[in-house]
Amino acid sequence: MSDLFVALTPPNLLACFVGTVLGTIVGVLPGLGPAGAMALVLPLTIKLGPTAGLIMLAGIYYGAMYGGSTTSILVNVPGEAASVVTTIDGYRLARKGRAGAALAVAAIASFVAGTFSVVALQLAAPLVARAALAFGPAEYFAFALLGVVLLANLTGGSRVKSLAMVVVGIMLATVGMDPLGGSVRFTFDVAGAQAGFSFIAVTAGLFGVAEVLTTMAEPASTLAAAKVKFSELYPSREELRRSVPPMLRGTVLGFLVGLIPGPAATIASFVSYGVEQKVSKYRHELGTGAIEGVAGPEAANNAAAGGGMIPLLSLGLPFTPSTAVLLSGMLLMSVTPGPFLLRDHPQVFWGVIGSFYVGNVMLLLLNLPLVGVFARVATIPSRYLMPGVLVLCVVAAYSDNNNVFDVWVLVAAGIIGWAMRGLGYNPAPLVLGLVLGPLLERSLLQALTIARGDVRGLWSSGPSAVMLIAAVLVSLAPLVSVVRRRVRA
Amino acid sequence: MSRDRHSAVGLAVFAIAYLLGDRRYPLDTLATPGPGLFPLMAGLALLALAAWQFATAGSHARAPAQPASTTLQAVEPAAVGPPLVMVGILIVYAALFRLIGFFPTSVALVFVSSRLMGLGGWWRPATLALGITAASHVVFVRWLGVPLP
Repeated sequence: MSDLFVALTPPNLLACFVGTVLGTIVGVLPGLGPAGAMALVLPLTIKLGPTAGLIMLAGIYYGAMYGGSTTSILVNVPGEAASVVTTIDGYRLARKGRAGAALAVAAIASFVAGTFSVVALQLAAPLVARAALAFGPAEYFAFALLGVVLLANLTGGSRVKSLAMVVVGIMLATVGMDPLGGSVRFTFDVAGAQAGFSFIAVTAGLFGVAEVLTTMAEPASTLAAAKVKFSELYPSREELRRSVPPMLRGTVLGFLVGLIPGPAATIASFVSYGVEQKVSKYRHELGTGAIEGVAGPEAANNAAAGGGMIPLLSLGLPFTPSTAVLLSGMLLMSVTPGPFLLRDHPQVFWGVIGSFYVGNVMLLLLNLPLVGVFARVATIPSRYLMPGVLVLCVVAAYSDNNNVFDVWVLVAAGIIGWAMRGLGYNPAPLVLGLVLGPLLERSLLQALTIARGDVRGLWSSGPSAVMLIAAVLVSLAPLVSVVRRRVRA
Repeated sequence: MSRDRHSAVGLAVFAIAYLLGDRRYPLDTLATPGPGLFPLMAGLALLALAAWQFATAGSHARAPAQPASTTLQAVEPAAVGPPLVMVGILIVYAALFRLIGFFPTSVALVFVSSRLMGLGGWWRPATLALGITAASHVVFVRWLGVPLP
């Protein structure tokens, strides 16, 4: 435990500071994402040595969760996938002149959740990780399916349109390598498509390029550069009071979701939003610019980032792209994560955990005072801001695989995203479908194989049965209301 | 036919094209599923959802009290010009990106897009284009090592 203080040595403090600042910037920039940024700085961190190097990489990882909310709130462009849901209410708050308050609540929620997840990571890692490992393919499938069904309630608009977008996302995810057999599908002999559609290119196109095109269609609107009153930069007492319950719910929920393999931070933020739509006292305001729609998801994605570290550090299993890059970094630095990490490299283990405490404080100190600086971005006229967004989107899409095909994907996604807005479709469910697609396919097919083709194997265990029943009940709820409406009519 | 019905037909066409493409991959059995099984399920699910939306859109159309602004607002036809021009520019940009490189194509992209968005004169769009592209080049190519063409 005394090794926790290793994080306070000057080189490690500097590594933590640089990592968190870089992470915040990466989170603010649309598309690049923490995994890409971590991979880009990997050669540099190797030169720093295992403790400082991993502290810097981890700083980028959770720093991006903080920064990701900024562009979601200010320009409706999520910095990374886990902040997609923040655009729904965050951007509407910005348009109401409450950008500063939304950013501050996002920073506070991130701090609370980040700190909670580190304490939980430190105290309960072995126990909780063991419980998460008890999940088999049937449970993963049921969990992902439940997430998809909850998502259908996300936009507050048409449920069938949301579900259709999720399925389109899942279909796009089938392009490229089959996750089980390795067959190449739907590439039509295009070499660049063999790795599948780049998540970054699709997301940057659907949100970034489509936003630019929408802004062009409405030149006189305040879509892009919402005016921010600097006298209202910080949240009011009422906003803070309303933020506390969703923040706490999002923290616990996010940490638990973080233990599940997959894009936990993204799922956690969506599930948190779905929960707020069900239980919040102000649920009728969600989708119109409610502070709960920022506090809950931002807490959830930060807590999930902490939760996602447990399987990596205690079992050596990375379940997200970011933790996979961390694993690569550890192996390159001759540090093998897993049950023996604590015995063999106590300074690395406790140093990284200690840096989470330090990093969370740094991020809060960095983000709160700089809320004004970030908020100023929103006052830049769209004719100055949007061309820059375009270039960032191109760089982000290209840097994912260093492939021009991804630039084409970006442009196509942008045009489709613009058309979708015009037709009343929200792109967020499509993005989640794209992320969940491979997980759904892999877990479904593995579960069927294990059950020797017997579909009852999908609900043979308690947790999977409960989650599938919940998914069915949530799915049937709108149908029941339609039937009741027709009976009344 | 309402806009929702048009989009439902579009989704159905996409689902059918996808299902036709999926015929190239074997389904095998549930015990040993082939690469075509999951896409088949996804395609059929989209087809069903498209049918559901088509039917629901019809019932909405019959309901006179249905407000027009329950979903995201449509783009006004009069405002479609500049984004359509931008779509063309983006396609040309993607085609030239590797041929003549990130820097010149991005300078041109920022210049034209800022003009389309109403930035007047020549020197301001030119300065903006050079500034944004140069800053992106320094950050991503020099500092982060992204090998942009």
